[in-house]
Amino acid sequence: MNAPERNLKLTNHRSGELAGIVRVNEEIKAIVATAFRINLMALNAIFLAKRAGNAALGFGVLSNELRRFAQDLTRHMASLRDMTSGSVGSVTGVVQQQRNSRILAEAIRLAGEVPGVREARKRGMARLSAQQVKLRALDLRLRAAVEETQQLVELGGVLARSAKIEAAYGGGFSPALMQVSTDFAEVIAQIKRSLEVLGKERLVKD
Amino acid sequence: MKQAHCIFQEDDHRWLAIARDATKPGYIIDTNEYVIVDGEEALLCDPGGIEIFPAVFSALSAECDPTKLAGLFASHQDPDIISSLALWLEFKPDLKCYTSWLWQSFLPHFGGEDTTFVPIPDPGMTIKLGSLELQAVPAHYLHSSGNFNLYDPKAKILFSGDIGAALLPPDQGGLYVEDFSRHIRHAEAFHKRWMGSDRAKRDWCERVSRLEIDMLVPQHGSIYQGADVQRFINWFAALEVGVLRG
Ligand SMILES: [Fe+2]
Ligand SMILES: [Fe+2]
Repeated sequence: MNAPERNLKLTNHRSGELAGIVRVNEEIKAIVATAFRINLMALNAIFLAKRAGNAALGFGVLSNELRRFAQDLTRHMASLRDMTSGSVGSVTGVVQQQRNSRILAEAIRLAGEVPGVREARKRGMARLSAQQVKLRALDLRLRAAVEETQQLVELGGVLARSAKIEAAYGGGFSPALMQVSTDFAEVIAQIKRSLEVLGKERLVKD
Repeated sequence: MKQAHCIFQEDDHRWLAIARDATKPGYIIDTNEYVIVDGEEALLCDPGGIEIFPAVFSALSAECDPTKLAGLFASHQDPDIISSLALWLEFKPDLKCYTSWLWQSFLPHFGGEDTTFVPIPDPGMTIKLGSLELQAVPAHYLHSSGNFNLYDPKAKILFSGDIGAALLPPDQGGLYVEDFSRHIRHAEAFHKRWMGSDRAKRDWCERVSRLEIDMLVPQHGSIYQGADVQRFINWFAALEVGVLRG
């Protein structure tokens, strides 16, 4: 075995978990940005409905609901973000422990069964599995939180569809209201896709 | 693969030099690690970097029981000195790491917790190992601002860290200095650039001239013995340090 190969072997392992967290965070950021857009769109819709007057009363109510939805979504995403930032610590712990165990294993392979190595190996394995248990629990919490958010977004979808129906009764404002409600439906579909991606990410590989 | 060479032995008091790793990737500086053993206890001086841990661990284990390791001595904070700390602690979590107080809160970035470190005050201290009383000798600013050598008065060996280091070509990589003037050429640029303070250098030369030294063992390069020790100290005293070039 030549030297650079040895080096590779010691360092180039499983950065998968950290990359997973990065993807989760990027997806969360995308959803937060979209929620912010929905909030602005809802504000505009509320003003538009006011201008349309009686013809857009229902649309106005729905726009208010959509605005509240955007705020709820932002809160959900903030708590998701807290979870993932906590998980960076745990994942780093696992990666470090794996690396240390691997280098120690290489040392033991070279040294043979010298005193103390069995205990060291056992301790390392115990630490690793404790950290993995922690990470797995975090993963479950994250998945549950994503599911909860998915339900919230279902509700957002219903609101967007109802807005579309209300837009039909908007008289002269109908085309403008229709455009706004179509935009709502589009961004909500986008959030759904992001959540699906999030739901598939696993912080810990089984 | 690195091997432990016994450079001193008197009953169960030994010094091992772990040197020359031919399998080490070329872009990593070659280092010497030293193990002081007395009876049931051992101390590892400048354990080295993460990359070479397997080689150092196995070389040490071939010559002494690694569970006897009581402590690590880190002359200073450099990665080639002590970045393997977490791995040694992985093997033995209760190891003590002796290092300058200056680095006490920096080294935990490599591993360990508050109970791991035994801070050495600026004037130095005695480190007990078995029946030995080792002396941490101040060598501040040579090159690190918190820097110690380790002196074993019984073996008359001074572990000098980066002082005395030489970056040797492969064909001159003997464990001991054989031809001082040929050898010292490979130490000159290193000392000029890395050693930052002329005053600190003069202090050190005076301090170690008062010690009885049979062997001066550096962290890089070959070991100085006998008359070469004083030859090195005189050479260093006259050398202009803290210069970028020339
Ligand atoms: Fe150094
Ligand atoms: Fe060094």
